[in-house]
Amino acid sequence: MTLAPLATALLGGVVALDATPVGQTMISQPLVVATVLGALWGDWRTALEVGIVLQILAACTLPVGARTPEDYATGSVIGIGVALALAQRRSFLVTHEASELLGVGVGLVAAIGSVPLLRWQRRLNEGLSRWCESEIREGREEALGAAHRAAVGLAFGVGVAYTAAFLMAGSWSLAVPCERESLRLAKAWWLAQPLWLGLGLAQVLNAFVQRRPLRGAAFGAALIGAWLVLMVGAS
Amino acid sequence: MERVTAADLRRVAWRTFLLQATWNYERQQGLGWAWCFKPVLDRLYPDAAVKGQRLAEHTAYFNTQPTMASLALGAVAGIEEECASGAGPDVGAVQRIKAVLGSALAALGDRLFWSTLRPFAACLGVLIALGGSWRGAVALLVCYNLFHLVIRWRGVAWGYRRGPAGLGEGLRERLDTLVARLCVLGAALVGVLVAALLAPGGEPRGLAFQALLAAGLLLGMVAALRARPSPTQWALGLGALCVVAAWLR
Repeated sequence: MTLAPLATALLGGVVALDATPVGQTMISQPLVVATVLGALWGDWRTALEVGIVLQILAACTLPVGARTPEDYATGSVIGIGVALALAQRRSFLVTHEASELLGVGVGLVAAIGSVPLLRWQRRLNEGLSRWCESEIREGREEALGAAHRAAVGLAFGVGVAYTAAFLMAGSWSLAVPCERESLRLAKAWWLAQPLWLGLGLAQVLNAFVQRRPLRGAAFGAALIGAWLVLMVGAS
Repeated sequence: MERVTAADLRRVAWRTFLLQATWNYERQQGLGWAWCFKPVLDRLYPDAAVKGQRLAEHTAYFNTQPTMASLALGAVAGIEEECASGAGPDVGAVQRIKAVLGSALAALGDRLFWSTLRPFAACLGVLIALGGSWRGAVALLVCYNLFHLVIRWRGVAWGYRRGPAGLGEGLRERLDTLVARLCVLGAALVGVLVAALLAPGGEPRGLAFQALLAAGLLLGMVAALRARPSPTQWALGLGALCVVAAWLR
């Protein structure tokens, strides 16, 4: 268990790479992160509860063009990591639900807070590009590889450091409120969870439907059909 | 005259994983493009000085959707081959073709990968994970990468064979059809997901949960009409309101 926070910080670096610099294979998506961290910390339930909310909210955050979107990659590692760190202190259900609320909250703050860091890295890469071009023009082609190694190393390092700092600060500062106010925080979770899920699903639905009646009808028919199947199947 | 080989194209495909490693506001994927394209230049220009010159020119501004960049890299490899043999367009024309391909493929790729496939894979994964299963994450990864990795790997060779003309209208029509079908399926998937949230395993959730989910959907529809505040800012505000409400009750 003592290795779990360290592994979580390293995962922060890995997802920071997958999000933009290397691959974009979606291992940085909150649901995948939740599955990995759930196995790592031995608490699937808490990890998936937080991961599902963050995944739905992240689904329509688009990295289109030059826009720097909220960083749900490190945000989800931090949010789920904080929730797991807080939940492992007590086994009561309300403490777990309080941890889940705080986990999603910290994850959202971390996702927004990471944007200036991403912009800073991208500005550093501007200098790297100019340096690399001048080196190539002088016949040093190996500068291309060096520039890529430097950029990947920087992204990984920033991901690890940001995750570790947020994880430590979050789990340390929220431990007492989570324990003392667990009942109120659990109530807030009961209110916030469906609202968050609804908010995120509406964004996703809007992206799919795009004011086309056929797609709206597909949504309505699937909702009613699935509801009936679930109810009839249960009875 | 040297020709680009299948091994060169495979090396380019491998390198596309680092296309965005040095992404920046000035040249965007420019340096990444040069990194990916280097095996082609190594093959076509035995003279180190000429190769260095071409490599430096390829560090100029370029941007597209990262998965679709494989197609552009393949197509431009074919043009560069003609250019190196002296039969094809000049260096300036290569740059212009790159820019046109970049914009066209970005429009297609953004719609297919970011606006459709990613939310679709996310909904599929969440639907499976609702029961507490690790299979949701696997479903998300498989669903997305089935398209993503195939285009990343095979796109370079495909773009090389078809050339820029092959990446025009025909490809656009096929991808538009795919996007339209995925959108219908995606809308239905969201419907199933909402039903699964309202009655997991056929046990209806409490009225408060159902009402709050409906309120969230309604609020999300209103929020989707505006660019600001972003959904993340909305979510943060809603979370704060819920904490305040829980404290006041």
